[in-house]
Parts: sequence; structure tokens; C-alpha cells
Amino acid sequence: MASAIDLTPSGLPAAGRQSRRSASWITLAAALISLIALLPLAFIVWTAMQTGWETVAALIFRQRVGELLVNTILLVLVAVPIAIALSVALAWLTERSDLPGNRLWSWLSVAPLAIPAFVHSYAWISLVPGLHGLWAGVLISVIAYFPFLYLPIAAALRRLDPALEDAAAALGLGPWRVFARVVLPQLRLAICGGSLLVGLHLLAEYGLYVFIRFDTFTTAIVDQFQSTFNGPAANMLAAVLVACCFVMLGVEVIVRGEERYARVGSGAARQQQRTRLGRAMLPCLLLPAATALLTLGVPFVTVGSWLLAGGVDVWRWDEIGLALGQTLVLAIAGALLATIAAMPMAWISIRAPGRLQRLLESCNYIVGSLPGVVIALALVTVTVRIALPLYQTLFTILFGYALMFLPRALISLRASIAQAPVELERAASSLGRPPLKALWATTIRLSAPGAAAGMAMVALGITNELTATQMLAPNGTRTLAMAFWSYSGEINYASAAPYALIMVAMSLPMTLMLYVQSKRMAGR
Amino acid sequence: MSFLELNDVAKYYGKVAALAGVDLTVESGSRTAIVGPSGCGKTTLLRLIAGFEAPDRGRIALDGKVLANGGAAVPAYRRGIGVVAQDGALFPHLTIADNIGFGMARSEDKRMERIVELAYIVGLDKAVLKRRPHELSGGQQQRVALARAMAMKPRLMLLDEPFSALDTGLRASMRKAVAELLEEAGITTILVTHDQAEALSFASQVAVMRDGLFSQVGTPRELYFQPKDRMVAEFLGDAIIVPAKIADGFAISPLGRIAVDTAERRDVARIMLRPEQVLLKRTSREGMSGTPDMLFGEVTDCEFAGSVCTIAVRLLNSPDPPDAAAIGNTPLILRKTGMDAPAVGEIVRLTVSGKAHVFA
Amino acid sequence: MKYALSTLAGAVALTASLIAAPALAEDAGIIVYNAQHESLAKEWAKGFTKETGIKVTLRNGGDSDFSNQIVAEGAASPADVFLTENSPAMALVEAAGLFAPVDADTLAQVPQEYQPSTGKWVGVAARSTVFVYNKDKLKEDQLPKSLLDLADPSWKSRWAASPSGADFQAIVSALLQLKGEAATADWLKAMKANSTAYKGNSTVMKAVNAGEVDGGVIYHYYYFGDQAKTGENSKNIGQHYFKNQDPGAFVSISGGGVLASSKHPKQAQAFLKWVTGKGGQEVLKTGTSFEYAVGKEAGSNPKLVPLADLQAPKVDPATLNSKKVIDLMTQAGLL
Repeated sequence: MASAIDLTPSGLPAAGRQSRRSASWITLAAALISLIALLPLAFIVWTAMQTGWETVAALIFRQRVGELLVNTILLVLVAVPIAIALSVALAWLTERSDLPGNRLWSWLSVAPLAIPAFVHSYAWISLVPGLHGLWAGVLISVIAYFPFLYLPIAAALRRLDPALEDAAAALGLGPWRVFARVVLPQLRLAICGGSLLVGLHLLAEYGLYVFIRFDTFTTAIVDQFQSTFNGPAANMLAAVLVACCFVMLGVEVIVRGEERYARVGSGAARQQQRTRLGRAMLPCLLLPAATALLTLGVPFVTVGSWLLAGGVDVWRWDEIGLALGQTLVLAIAGALLATIAAMPMAWISIRAPGRLQRLLESCNYIVGSLPGVVIALALVTVTVRIALPLYQTLFTILFGYALMFLPRALISLRASIAQAPVELERAASSLGRPPLKALWATTIRLSAPGAAAGMAMVALGITNELTATQMLAPNGTRTLAMAFWSYSGEINYASAAPYALIMVAMSLPMTLMLYVQSKRMAGR
Repeated sequence: MSFLELNDVAKYYGKVAALAGVDLTVESGSRTAIVGPSGCGKTTLLRLIAGFEAPDRGRIALDGKVLANGGAAVPAYRRGIGVVAQDGALFPHLTIADNIGFGMARSEDKRMERIVELAYIVGLDKAVLKRRPHELSGGQQQRVALARAMAMKPRLMLLDEPFSALDTGLRASMRKAVAELLEEAGITTILVTHDQAEALSFASQVAVMRDGLFSQVGTPRELYFQPKDRMVAEFLGDAIIVPAKIADGFAISPLGRIAVDTAERRDVARIMLRPEQVLLKRTSREGMSGTPDMLFGEVTDCEFAGSVCTIAVRLLNSPDPPDAAAIGNTPLILRKTGMDAPAVGEIVRLTVSGKAHVFA
Repeated sequence: MKYALSTLAGAVALTASLIAAPALAEDAGIIVYNAQHESLAKEWAKGFTKETGIKVTLRNGGDSDFSNQIVAEGAASPADVFLTENSPAMALVEAAGLFAPVDADTLAQVPQEYQPSTGKWVGVAARSTVFVYNKDKLKEDQLPKSLLDLADPSWKSRWAASPSGADFQAIVSALLQLKGEAATADWLKAMKANSTAYKGNSTVMKAVNAGEVDGGVIYHYYYFGDQAKTGENSKNIGQHYFKNQDPGAFVSISGGGVLASSKHPKQAQAFLKWVTGKGGQEVLKTGTSFEYAVGKEAGSNPKLVPLADLQAPKVDPATLNSKKVIDLMTQAGLL
């Protein structure tokens, strides 16, 4: 889900007669995967039905749920608009003004993604120990997640046809009105997509809010899980959280509307001009500088100072090495599984798009938008009650990861398959390769870079995942995030610092790749 | 004083001069076309006039008011100059009606009525007003862009290759329609294009541009028949250029004795003919034994392309070639109607109608 | 089609090998579901493995999630041994009939008061409830006399706890056992109004130390643990024991039990015997856990207030009802 960059679905024609047979195989696989993906959702509904209406009502219509709902809604309503304003301002400064060092600022506006949200929170709570409540939640949420808005907005700004702004100016609109009436409306898709992504992350985040004592549905579900395992109270909270996700998805669909945002007409857009800031330069520099200070400076300084305070003792290499190894195995295997699972869907979405396919695809996105805690809770319940041999196995946790991060793999794969023309597949078929072999020899080979990018995105998500990992991990598992969490829970901030550092170091290259990819997708 | 005046206008991108100092005057109510190969600076010039960019040097004045002088410039939104861009630049997020009404004040009286009226003027059906730009064809989009620019009653209209994205047939009819429309509205117009036929047919004044400078400015007729140099000549159409000796209003050339448009006397000169000035008449080898100043040729190639036929003619008896080696066996390339074109191997007699142009 | 299938098979095999990689790691020995402090359990495991050569794999978690998990897993549970911080979790598993009886010689190592009457599990350590307070904010005469005093409106927004943790829930289960359901429900309601909820007892102490709240209800060893390190999070902390058989003087027994479904019952029993024996209890005395030792011959860390001086109320650990407590706390809106 991390990439909200708008991918225009290509209108390539469906595959020819020769590949009908393989197409039906692939469609079947895609349908199967989508149905399996719906498992957690189905389970929540099933538990609700099993629990009986009276218990359900008692568990849902109570004061605590009301508090959590107010907290969660306020958080989203306050944090998302602030993140939008900040991202639009930063994107405009880095993409459309002559701000000195705009490439550096642009990168620094994406870099916070390399720091897991709970590490941001850890950094802030070490710096300001009393930090808590809604405003603390808003502050750190914006800091941790605004790049999800910055990335698509910056890409959209870069892609915007400057001729439209010229046209508006020629029609008598001053710069501010041009921005409000022409530029902003065209950023709508980017803003909607980014906001949705940020909003879903706010709903799903756990560690961030635990540090600053701000209760959301996710923290409450984990509390219930720790108190009662998969009790009905946890499942009902999960149901409300799922409802929140659906409301958010629905609102986004309504706000986004059916409009077209691509430029009308053909030919390459002219290079954009950068606005000269002139005397406003210094105050304008303050914004990205202050943002970088808050988003990168604070974690850097606090992690650094804890490392200094901890000295050599906190680098328990046996422990760290084990955690690193386990994290890598989970990340790579999970990424591989998610990518393989995404392949059939990606293929038919480009080669044989249609109603059924869109329906199946949206299943994957909906499941991917559910918080990890919900998916983990469902998988725990399913495995314990129905498939006990799978309970607490590597398979189940990887399965959980695949459900959570499949959309990331799907988006990248789809974009790269769109670039592999179907004619090559047909040519391979006509040269005597059987359908699947032809697919392998052409499309799969050509889409490998995209698949790799998608895998990296999934691996990044797994590396920084905490809640689902804690609930699903097999015996003896201790990932970097789990170790970090366990130490910081005992207020042993110094011992947690090396893990924070390693997670950031692992995430940096993948974040850089995301940044480069978004630049490339913007077309120039 | 002219309506629009440009003095020594220059614009640099880094060290590259997009415009190296351009002068131009445009009369009120006239139509001017700026034509040149891509990258010659014509779009930059248009953008400077529109106010999207400020010139580095020079002065632009409209109706007596200075718009730009050196670095200082009135911004585009205060100039009241209409612009129609290459692909229309319609706002994708607005309906056609809102696109047309974009420049009007939102509270303007009878806003909708004016939109409908403008749509009617540019020949748009009322039904399209509720649609979105991407639902329209290229030609319709251009009409919307024109209506949108006309809505603010501009004194000057700038058209930036507005017809280049259209089909050949549509292009000509749109061009004619737009020209008539702007003429009726009395709006001074500047058209930028790389299509010489478009420039010649559209404008009353044509400026040929090359490497950031005007090569020549004049009426279409002047430019076509009396180009300043070979580049202008060839840019505006096919040209036959041969060396000649000039005396007494005639040129002695490999094509015989041809009337020229100058009375001066020169021993070394180059003259230009448009291929359509060369007329062919079928004859035979036997028929060649006429007067010595008659010119004959043999058809060496004939490429049939429907209405037009491209014919290559090798001169058989070039009289008194001053520079025979230069013309040698290079055949003349002529375009004739396909119906009565001579076949390969036929002998033709060549005659020249009108006067040849002598390059300075 | 054959080629294609073989390619697919290759991909599947690759995935499978990746998935299986860590599982192939070698025999895991006995699996211990450990809800005790990780560092303590690691010490125990290390000592036991050193002495017996039996490998121990720890899965770390909390009392409540493990107990519920074991119940859900039933006979198929992969766990051999279950270690907790508090008794209610043991009671839950015991009630589900999933524990094997503890070997008699293991039970003999621990006094009667630190094991349930049923002998299905055994105490391995103990911890006392304590009221930690900020010495700058509260004088000794301002301290609450009883845990129940904290329900008074005068304590509004002045004290903290970690209600989502099993530690605090154990204290509530003692309250429930001693004062009954109605009184407990009222007290929890007052707690919802008066207290600030933190996640984790360390965090509660840190907040009290920093003066965010006046006091907090946690266990005794957090203070000593922090003092043994830098003392940074406890330098302003005073420890107040309620004593007097008050519910707030509750001493919670950490339990250990062998699962009936264990595939390595001998080794599992040996582990429990070792933990309650000299080696395991010595770790409590000399280590950094600062929990009380419960072995007959073992002494606790001399820095602690002796167990006998705490005047704890008498509660049979087998009767502590965690499910009821969770329901009451959920009703009060604390969960």
C-alpha cells in the first residue's frame, strides 16, 4: 500500500486465443488467492454471528468503545489535514520553487519513512518524557507518516502540465488563484490516495501510541488480546476497527470522484518553470529545515545519545545477530510469498481486465488496508480452532504478511507487466513455447525489476512490523522490532537503541528506492 | 504607432539565446504568423508576449502601454492577452462550460448565457457544455480553448500551434473558421506555427524565424516569391535555385533566358523559381530541332501520387551554362497534376512563366 | 506444459526451503511458554541447560495471552512448561485440566503457602504489591492507608497503574477474592475516573519519578531493578507497602507447571525441579530480578523487605479468577 503513485492502467487488449487456456488457469489462481485473502474478514463476521447479538451489543455499545472512537476519529481528523498542508507546502517548495538544495530537501522529506513509527515515538518520549495524549499523537503521526502524502503530491506536481497554469494566468488569474483553482484540484487524486494511506496507517499503528499513552482501537485490541487472547471483546473491537477502515475507504472513493486528472491532449508537456522565491527565500527555507529537524534530527539525536550512553555494552552481538537473521529470513520469505501470490492478479489486471478481475483485485486491496492486529487476530483464531498444526508456524506468519502486504507487491508488479508488451508473449508462443513457458520467458523476465521493487517494499513493511509479528511469530522468534519493543517496554532505552539503528539502516536503501521510483514514474 | 511593438527583445536560457534581439510591429486588427523550424525561438517569443516569462532585454509595448522592459514585466494575468495553446490546455477537472467561463467573474451577469453564446460562436454544440474535456475530440477541444480565451474579450490573441494536433482535413477548415471568427471580432492575432502553408494562408503578415532571429518579415506573397535568401525560400516551399548572369531585366541561366524582378546588372547571381512556374509541353526527340533558345528535357522519373505527380526532368540542351558543373545532370524536380503527367522517357519542352527572383 | 510445471515446481521448492530454513535449526529441546521476565527466564534456562544439557526454547509473552492460548491449543499445545508472573493465569490453565501433576520432590522444595492446594503447579517466585510515590509530591502522612482509599475522589488524577498488564489484574483478582464482586466493580469504576493508565509497570514508575502523577500501584521489584542500574527512573521514588492484610499488600505467586500434553514430560519436570531448587532460587537471590525466592531453603535478596514482614492477606492462589477480573475491568472501561 505504500505506493500511492497513480498508475494509469494500460488499456492493452486481452490476450489472444493461444493463451486462453493459461489465462483461465491464472484467473483461477487469482480468484483463489483473493478468496483466501478474504478469510480474516469472513472470520470477523463469523465470530460476531457466533457471539450472539446481545453480547456483541454489550461489547460494542459501551463507553470504552466510544472513547476509542472519539480518540481515533479526532486523531485522523486533526493529523491528516495537517499532514496534507505540510506535504503540499513541502512538495511545492521542492518541486516548483527555486529553493536552494531542493533535491536534498525532497529526499529529506521522504527519509522519515525509513524510521519505523514506533522509533519516532521512542525518540520523542526520550526527549520530552511527559509527552502524551491527542496532540502528541498528532505530532508524531504527522512526523512519521506525512511522506506518504508528500511522495504522490510531489510526483503529481512534477507531472502537472504547466500549460494549464499558463492558460489560467492568461485568463487573468493571479498566482494564488491559479494555485487554488488549477493546481490544487489536480492534486486531488494524489491527496486522496495519500490521505487514505496515512489514515489507514493511523488506524493500524500500535507502538507509536503506546509510548505516548494515546489509546486507539489498535492499542485496545492488543490490550484485550494480551488479557484474554482471542476473546470476543478483542474481536468486537476489531470489527469496529474494520468498520472504520471501510468508512475511510468509502469516503476516499466519494471524495476522489470519477474525474480524470491526466492531461488532455498529446505530446510531451513542456518543462515547468520554478517560481522565484526572492525575498521569501529565507522564511521558505525554514519549513523544510524545521521539518527535517523534527522528523530526522530528533530520532538521530536521541538514538545517538542512547547509543553513547549505552556504550559498547548494548551491542550484544549474539542477540542482535540472531534478531537480524530472523528478521531477514521473515522479510525475504514474506516478500517472496507476497510477490508470487500477487503475480496472477497482476497478470490478469493488465492482460485480461474486466469486472470480475476488478472485484477480485479490490478484495486484495481491502484486506491489505486492514490493520495487522486484525489480520493476526483472525489468523490466530482460525489456526487455533480449525488448523491447529499451522498455529504458530512460519507458514502462518508469512501468510499473514502476504495478506497485509500483497497490495504493495501487486502495484509494482502491475506497473512493470504493463510495460512488457503482450506481443512478446505471443511471439514466444508462435515460436513454439507452450503458454506458461512463454509467459515465463517474456513477461515474467521483463517484469522482474518491478517484482524486485515490490519485494523490497514488502520486505520493508515486514522489517518494521510489530503487532502481527508479536501475535503470530513461531516459538523462539525475536525480530529486530520485537527486541526493540521488549527493551523499550522495560524502559531500557539504551539497549533498544542498537535495534532502532539497525532497522533504520535496513530501511534506508528501500526508502531511497521508493524515492527514485516515484521520480521515475513522474515521467522525467 | 503600431498596436504591438517589440524592440530588440532577447531571452537567454543559460548561455543559449532563445531570442537574440527581435523587432516586430503588428497592426491593430491584423493577423501575423510567426513561422520557423522547431527550436527557432518562436514559442519563446509568444511566451514573452503573453507574459509567462520576462525578456532579458528589450521592450514590449501593447497599444502604447509598456508590458515589458528589460527585466521588468507586467505578469500574464494583468495583460488581458488571450492564449490558445497547442493542445488546448483545457482544465481536466472542470466541465466544458466551466472551462469557457473560467476567466469570467463568477458573479458576472448572464454568465451562462455568455458561455452558451461563445460556444455557439466557435461552433460547439450546446450539448457538450456539460461534458469533460477528455470526452471531446481534438477539434472540439481547440474550439473550447478558443472560446475560453475569447470570453475575456482580449485585445490580442496568441495562437500557439493550435491546429497541429488536428487531422489534415480538419486543420484547414479550422484554420479558416478561426481566421474568420477573429476577424469578425476584430481581435489582433498572432499565430505561431512550423507549417509554412498554414502561415501563408492564415496571416496578412508572416515572420520567418530562425535561430532566435527573424530572417524576413513581410506579406505572404512577398515572402513566397521574393525570399531574402535560400533558407527562407526553401522553408516556405520547393524552390529551383540556379546560378545566372543578370542583365537588362533578364537572367541568362541553365534554364535559358528568364525575366527577373530586378533591373540591375550582375555577372554572378543566383535566381529562384518556384517549380510551379516551370511549364512542360510534350514533344519528341524529333521536335527538339527547333530554335536554339528553346529548352528541352527528358523525364527520368515519375512518381504517381493521386492528384499530384512528382516528375524528374533531365535537361538535354542547357544553353550557355555559366556553371555547367554546378547543375550538371541534377534533374529538376517538378510537381504536376497526375492526370496529364508525362511518362518516363518522354521528351518535354520547358518554359517559364512569370519572373524569377534574384537573391541579393 | 511440462517445462512450465517444472519451473513452477522450482519456484515452490525455493519458497518452501526458505520457509523451512529456521525450522530445520535442530531440536528445540523443551519449549517453555515464558510469561516471566525474559532476563530471569533466560538465566534459568542457561543454568538448567548447563547442568543437564537439555536445551530450552523460550517463547516470551504475557500471563493472560499465554494462559488463554494454552487453553485454546488444548492437547495440541507445543508447550512443555508454562511459567508465569502471577497465579491467575496458572489457575486458568489448571481449571482447563491441562496441567500434569508436579513431581512430589519438586513440591517438597516449596512451602505449602506458595503452591496451590491441588499440586498441579508450583510457586517459583513471588512479588509484592507496592505503592510507589514521588517523594517531592507526597509526604509519608499523605500516603493512602489502603488500596481501597485510592477510590476516593481526593485521589482523582493523582495515581497511575498499568491495567492492561497481568500484574495489575492479579492484584484486582486478589481484591475480588477478598472483598467480593460488587465492591471490586465499584472500586474499578472509581479507578477509571481517578487513575491514569500507562502501558507497563516500568512506565508507571518512570512517570511517578518524573512527577507526572503522585503515585502508582505496581510491584516491588521495579524500584530495585532500576536502582541496581542507573537509578535514573527511581531517584525520586518512595516505596510504600500497605501491609495490614490489606488487598494492597497482596503477594502474587509466580507459578510454573508442566503441561499434560508435553512430549518431553521428564525433561519438563526436571526443569521445574531445577527452578524451584537451589540453582533456580539462587538466581533470584543474586540476580537482577529482585523477585522473592520461594524455595524452602532459599533466601531472598537482602535488599528487599523480608517476605514475612509484608503482612500479606491470605489468598489461595488456586481460587484467583482471571476471567471474571477481565470482564469486570472491561465493564469498567479499563480495557
